[in-house]
Amino acid sequence: MADAAGRRRGQDHVLTAAVVAIIVVLSLMPMLRLIQEIVLPGGTFSMAAIDRGLANPATLTATLNTLVVGIGGTVLAVVAGTFVALLVALTDMRARNAFVLCFVMPLMIAPQVTALAWLQLFGPASPFLRLLGIAPPLGTRNPLYSPEGIVLLLGIQYAPLVFLLVRAGLRKLPRELVEAARAGGAGWGRVLVSIVLPLMTPSIVAAAALAFVSCVGNFGIPAFLGIPANYLVLPTLIYQRLAGGGPAALGEVAFLSVLIGVIAMAGIVAQEAMSRRRDYRVSSTSLAATPYRLGRWRLPVEVAMWAVILGLLVLPLFGLTLTSLSPGYGIPLSAATATLASYRFVLLEHAASSRAFVNSLALSAGAAAFAVAAALPVAYVVAWGRQKWVRYVNMLVELPYALPGVVLAIAALLLFLRPMPITGLHIYNTVWIILYAYLARFLVLALRPTVSGYHQVDRALEEAAQVTGAGLFTRMRAIIFPLVAPAAMAGGLLIFMTALSELTVSALLWSSGSETIGVVMFSFEQGGDSKYAAALSLITVAITFTLMLGTNLFARHLPSGVLPWRD
Amino acid sequence: MKSVSLRLAASQFALALTLAAGVAHADTLTLYTSQPEADATRTVDAFKAANPGTEVQIFRSGTSDLITKLAAEFAAGAPQPDVLLIADAVTMELFKKDGRLLAYPEADVEGIDAEAYDAERTYFGSKLITTGIAYNTAAAEKPAHWNDLLKAEYKDGVVMPSPLYSGAAAFMMSGFSENGDIGWQFYEGLKANDAVTVRGNGAVLKSVAEGEKPYGILVDFMAMNAKAQGSPIEFVFPPEGVPAVTEPVAIMASAKNVDGARRFVDFILSDEGQALARDMGYLPAKASAGRPGWLPEGVEVKVMPIDIKAVAGRIEADKEKFSALFGG
Repeated sequence: MADAAGRRRGQDHVLTAAVVAIIVVLSLMPMLRLIQEIVLPGGTFSMAAIDRGLANPATLTATLNTLVVGIGGTVLAVVAGTFVALLVALTDMRARNAFVLCFVMPLMIAPQVTALAWLQLFGPASPFLRLLGIAPPLGTRNPLYSPEGIVLLLGIQYAPLVFLLVRAGLRKLPRELVEAARAGGAGWGRVLVSIVLPLMTPSIVAAAALAFVSCVGNFGIPAFLGIPANYLVLPTLIYQRLAGGGPAALGEVAFLSVLIGVIAMAGIVAQEAMSRRRDYRVSSTSLAATPYRLGRWRLPVEVAMWAVILGLLVLPLFGLTLTSLSPGYGIPLSAATATLASYRFVLLEHAASSRAFVNSLALSAGAAAFAVAAALPVAYVVAWGRQKWVRYVNMLVELPYALPGVVLAIAALLLFLRPMPITGLHIYNTVWIILYAYLARFLVLALRPTVSGYHQVDRALEEAAQVTGAGLFTRMRAIIFPLVAPAAMAGGLLIFMTALSELTVSALLWSSGSETIGVVMFSFEQGGDSKYAAALSLITVAITFTLMLGTNLFARHLPSGVLPWRD
Repeated sequence: MKSVSLRLAASQFALALTLAAGVAHADTLTLYTSQPEADATRTVDAFKAANPGTEVQIFRSGTSDLITKLAAEFAAGAPQPDVLLIADAVTMELFKKDGRLLAYPEADVEGIDAEAYDAERTYFGSKLITTGIAYNTAAAEKPAHWNDLLKAEYKDGVVMPSPLYSGAAAFMMSGFSENGDIGWQFYEGLKANDAVTVRGNGAVLKSVAEGEKPYGILVDFMAMNAKAQGSPIEFVFPPEGVPAVTEPVAIMASAKNVDGARRFVDFILSDEGQALARDMGYLPAKASAGRPGWLPEGVEVKVMPIDIKAVAGRIEADKEKFSALFGG
């Protein structure tokens, strides 16, 4: 008996040590390396980078603007994402599975692609507006070149993220409570306000925090909409400094990145404060409640939802398709001019593209799998652990995600340029340094949903198992994982899709042979070959869509709710 | 997925072998370049054909990504490349000032304009990438001079790469400011005419060719290649002169393979290397190598003389001025 108790304590220590190791290696090390570059450039103490950063009036403007679009984008994403999640989870709208599958797809279309598609839609060159005969004259300023435009597109980009997290939370909604309230005569509005939304607070707040961090760190959308509008945010300011500053800019850039980190941390602190205010645990994992009957509103709601898909998914994809079939910019597309040459080139003639598919799929799947595996123990300690310090440490995980990708890449470069001490391993110029950077960057996407999953689970089950002598690892496998799996897997999916279209991290870290899809696409764009980039993007979407459909085949063997597009 | 993990395992294995062997190839040359991908591949292939037995490791990215990577490598004290081939001489001046470049006094610069290479022979221009005015064929006006863009007819119609993000655009800004005939008022005029700035030349091309904006400030080869593919775009070289970046090649002071790096410079400056630049659609640095197909004989391209050192000295102040003028 004493042996068993000793073994259990041993397992607890192993768990704590593992969690600390994960956080130190993936979050603390890159951040410390950046801070070293701010205050100890070349090994001597200096405040020059901070002084330069503070003296530049652009820093203040960019910080305020970042807050504005960060908050605006988050509000929009949370309202839209939560609304859609409630409709999908609680009503009797039809074809839900197909709808969910389509609604999450935009996550894997790179933000800059979405931005371009929307710009085209509202610009004077819009084929759509021309069709309606209301295209503005040549040269008219695009209305999306504005802070409002940035907020709109950020909201659109991250609404699916909010949706995924809230949808995972809604699976835990106790049927008994809802039905008791209904039996007691409460209307659906009342049920929503007094039962559903309060119980969903951890998921919604976690989703809001993630959306906020995503918005303040986003580069693609402000780059396409903000530069023409002369609206500066911190990520674009960082690129500006990098583009012109030469080697001396590194410290200043690291300083600006820390500013973004601070803003992101504020979002997380707010989340922690809100989700600890009261107890949201529910003990059942019951079946979904009887859906709310939309009645005569069913068809209009369904039409409206699919119209949303039209704007979010079909439109960008349609724009991409037109571009990929076109022989060149501005050439009117017709049956005579359309060509499949871009697809032939990308698939057959361009060796790096095929390598990039293999690399990106392996990297995204690897990062997602590892992050889910790491998130389960880390979230356990964060949500249920007794050590107070863990709560603070876990905020560090947020930082690498909030930084613009290029800055995290710089940190990884600085860390791994020389062979690692003791082991002598040298991962620079290999695919492993990209995997490291992906893990550091995206871990939080799996961790946040998993933590909110733990917050919703009543610990009594685990404690019962503990009393009967089950060791930690047994409890993890038999009790905990099935309970938090939906949330953790939603996070894994987020990582897979985000990493697949990722560009800014790998842009600095790739080497011959370890190209990623983002790198190859960006090379095409830079060389003026958007058609190749569009073809590549579409093939990626098609592959992923097929993979997702394929997972349905295994759905029977997975815990309920692991695949967000299955009821 | 199995084959994928095998691949990963294989690359890890190869890595271990590399570590064990110390150096994989006795003659490996590491090149960092900002050339477009297809061009970079062609250049390296041609170099390898001319230098059998030399392996080339290549990192290709946009100029600012590339400089960022290099800056991080400097900060960590382990710069990797032997040789650089990047967009503009201003960056090379910065590297030279920091003692990062190795002079190559024996380089054969016969036939290359003295403005296109460094007098101390640390970097050598490989081609001329000029910036002129592009316009959509459906545009109402036919621009011919730089100052045409400041006329009332062009209000709301001009798009240009932002000097805050594009190295070539920044070079042009400081070059114009140095030039008494055009000067800073050109930018003030553009602002007054509500010109729009975008991140890079690719975005300008897209905007003009698709007709979002009828007129754009753009590099020559992008406009000409799009035109050759059938895009409704025209391009003019204003007779007052066009700024040109030279895509210089340079040997790093920290190069491990100095001999290979020299051979690479030799190749870029050779008749063969210059003919290759011409075939890829650029104006070669060596006039004797001829003209790219898009440039008809008789069309005069007057390159504006720009003092690289003067530009390097003022470019940061000009960017701040631009930022104050345009915002952003």
